[in-house]
Amino acid sequence: MSALKRVQQWATFARIWHVYDAAWQNPFESAQVLKKYLKGMHKPIYHPMNDCGDHVIVLNSAEIALPGDEWKKRVYFHHTGYPGGASWTLAWELHNKDPTMVLRKAVYNSMKGNLQRRYTMERLHIFPDANVPKELMGNVSNQIRQVRPIPKRLDHYPEEDVTQFPKVIDYPKDYVVK
Amino acid sequence: MSLLWFSKNVLSKNSVLFNFRSISTTPQLQIKEIKEIQKGKELTIYGEIFKSPREPYVLNNNHSSACPVCASGLDIKHTDVLILSQFVRSDGCMLPRRITGLCRKQQKRLMPNLNPSWSKKDPKRRYGWKKFNKYFDESTIKC
Repeated sequence: MSALKRVQQWATFARIWHVYDAAWQNPFESAQVLKKYLKGMHKPIYHPMNDCGDHVIVLNSAEIALPGDEWKKRVYFHHTGYPGGASWTLAWELHNKDPTMVLRKAVYNSMKGNLQRRYTMERLHIFPDANVPKELMGNVSNQIRQVRPIPKRLDHYPEEDVTQFPKVIDYPKDYVVK
Repeated sequence: MSLLWFSKNVLSKNSVLFNFRSISTTPQLQIKEIKEIQKGKELTIYGEIFKSPREPYVLNNNHSSACPVCASGLDIKHTDVLILSQFVRSDGCMLPRRITGLCRKQQKRLMPNLNPSWSKKDPKRRYGWKKFNKYFDESTIKC
């Protein structure tokens, strides 16, 4: 085996680390993207019996966004197994308790319940903010594209862009600008 | 003696404070500027209307009957903050129709939700579920 082929072999079977910024992203749309990287479905050598999944680091999971009023409509069910042990937790209550849990459950539920699911989840590293240990960030070699654009606030634009943006109306001649 | 000196001092300071002209060359209303031109013995004093800072950037309205937003053909959504901020006072309130010059439909459609930078209404400090990020699908927004 030539040196080139040997390196190609290593590169094919090495686990790659990806990073994903979850700020202003829908966790359920993101889960459909993340699970492909976790299971290695983006690779040409993919096979369900082939352990070729990658690691994914998710940043800013506390900043995820849900559409409309889904924070108070989505309910997480848990049962302790004892009579009267059922409990229903709203998404915003769960997010208050643990800001990584909504995204983790979204990824977990996006995958089929087989024996591999628990091991695949082990490769997902979720952080509520951007403080990731350096030894983890050192492994990263790819960034996953966000599924929706981050809305930009007016005070995040530079002053020039706001003043020089094309104007639809002008003030009347005698209007006192406040 | 010291009291007398103190009162004198304060009074003299006050007299300095209140000794200003009631007509200023830079008016507070920011509409007109008073200018003086001396030509020989003839002194001309006139008010010059300030030019709007928006003037070079205003879109030209080719339709005589349509309002500026209808004429531009823009479908303005709540995320278009650079457009919405043109219809807003510095405190974040919407300008009235007599100033914006929009038709009734467009004036009602534009309901900006812009806070000024000095606003204390930090979205992160809202109560309960309201403090978390949410977005609205623009295809489901009515009107």
